[in-house]
Amino acid sequence: MIRTEHLSKIYRMGQIEVPALRDVSVEIEEGEFLAIVGPSGSGKSTFLNMLGCLDKPTTGAVFIDGTNTALLNENGLAEIRRNKIGFIFQQFNLIHTLNTLENVSLPLFFAGVSRAERLKRAAELLTKVGLEKRMQHKPSELSGGQQQRVAIARALSNNPEIIIGDEPTGNVDSETGTAIMDLLTALNREGRTVIIVTHDTEIAAHVPRVIKMKDGKVLD
Amino acid sequence: MAYRSIRERKARSILTVLGIAVGITAIVSLMSVGYGMEEAITDELSGMADIIQVMPGKITGMSYVVTGGFTDRDVKDLQRISGIKDVSAMTYDSVEVEYRNEKKTTFVLGGDTKDLESIYAEPVGLKEGRWLRENDYKGCVIGDYVANDFFDEVIHVNDKLLLNGDKFVVIGIFEKGDMMHADVDRNIFLTLRAAKEVLQTDEIKYVMVRVYDIDEAEEIAEEIEKVINDNHGLEDFATAMTMGSVLDQIGDIFNIIRGVLVGIAAIALIVASIGIMNTMLMSVMERTHEIGVMKAIGAKSSDVLTLFLFESSIVSLVGGVAGCLLGWGVAIALSSAASMMLPGMELAASVKPGVLLGGIAVAMIVGTLSGFYPARKASRMSPVEAVRYS
Repeated sequence: MIRTEHLSKIYRMGQIEVPALRDVSVEIEEGEFLAIVGPSGSGKSTFLNMLGCLDKPTTGAVFIDGTNTALLNENGLAEIRRNKIGFIFQQFNLIHTLNTLENVSLPLFFAGVSRAERLKRAAELLTKVGLEKRMQHKPSELSGGQQQRVAIARALSNNPEIIIGDEPTGNVDSETGTAIMDLLTALNREGRTVIIVTHDTEIAAHVPRVIKMKDGKVLD
Repeated sequence: MAYRSIRERKARSILTVLGIAVGITAIVSLMSVGYGMEEAITDELSGMADIIQVMPGKITGMSYVVTGGFTDRDVKDLQRISGIKDVSAMTYDSVEVEYRNEKKTTFVLGGDTKDLESIYAEPVGLKEGRWLRENDYKGCVIGDYVANDFFDEVIHVNDKLLLNGDKFVVIGIFEKGDMMHADVDRNIFLTLRAAKEVLQTDEIKYVMVRVYDIDEAEEIAEEIEKVINDNHGLEDFATAMTMGSVLDQIGDIFNIIRGVLVGIAAIALIVASIGIMNTMLMSVMERTHEIGVMKAIGAKSSDVLTLFLFESSIVSLVGGVAGCLLGWGVAIALSSAASMMLPGMELAASVKPGVLLGGIAVAMIVGTLSGFYPARKASRMSPVEAVRYS
């Protein structure tokens, strides 16, 4: 379960303070499928970064399975990211020097899994997302939709409880977007918590729970 | 992954490797040539370990101050010291040489003809004519340079020279002298009697003593100094040097030379390490986004640090190995070039395994150290900001 308490984040730009999040308190149950929507600058990505332990709040707390992540150091956060969270980005963010198989196995490399084991697991995941014939390809040789499926396979490699997607359908055509949403829905059915940020209302309409944000606040 | 990223940035990686390699090449080749020179000289000298050189002068640091000349009495006194096999007295000075109305100045060296033969004529060899005998009072043997390059016309055996106005017949001409006997080339050799007459002096400038037992050489050298100093009533009149102390001195000189060479090479290495740091910093900048992604998917700061350090150590290992191989080749090339330019000098580069291993170790240390700052910079990046960077 994920719970935030009076979460706020203030960015400092020289002398000016820019509040990106203001007193956000939200509870997300295990196995939920959640979409955060709102106009740009509403603080939805900042909020997602807090949930994904990529960033620390200025004040307030984020509890993941009871652990207050605001109190963890860099390594503690890295460990949570590695063990509990899988990230999917709008820009896919694959490592262009590595092939598909290696990209998917990278989180397992950081987790200290043996080479044979991580390649085996990566191959299974690529098969799961329908890319079993693209294992040796470099990201630049894949279409946007294929790259996003590789990114999803990578997010799954450590078998995380939580999948976090920042505009996962933002850079693909609508048909591919639908396919990716189907994949995320399937992952949610497996019992994983899925949290995505989107500005696409059509996508949000398929998600059971939607949180609307504006000016750094959650609208009821 | 480090390997992939090195390969992906081929041109830059090659240049960085080259930078390190040049530094290591400099170290390895210069040191090997230095060792080679030292070994060549030491080998030559250790064949003469039973020799004590006695000079009328004082060696202070690296300079030599002449205090005067020895007398016949000094030589006779030396012959009485026990343990000494033989004593040969020599004299030398500059002289005016005239050949077919052309005048030049060079050195005349006179001594016991048997002694001179074993010191000069046997190791260097004669190209024309024969060696001096004690009764060759008006004969001389000349060096290769004097014979061939000194005057407009080449000098042959039986030609006549004027030495300070006295007429002498050339009875022998030396081969070109080698490294240890390069002085032969420009000298004219006479009997001691003739030399004393030409130079108009009774002073002996140099005495060479052979001992029976090499182990006693140091003691005998001290005794020689004492005897001659007593004769002249001075504290520091004579210096008697055993080959052992000459070897020590040469060792000292070579340590200085090696120090200078290593200094030059160190500058090359500093440049190389700046190159590595620059490459790695650029790599870190370029891969900011990638670092952010790695952190987002669970890489710890220490993982990122390790990755970048590994990358710079691979680059420097390759550079180090390449540098050692290149340095080996360059050392051989340098010493054979030196041997070709100085005929008679046999200089083989001495590539010691310690120098090679040291070269690789230095490359690794320098490379890893200069990779440390960029690696730490990479590891400390905030994942959010790094992911956003493009």
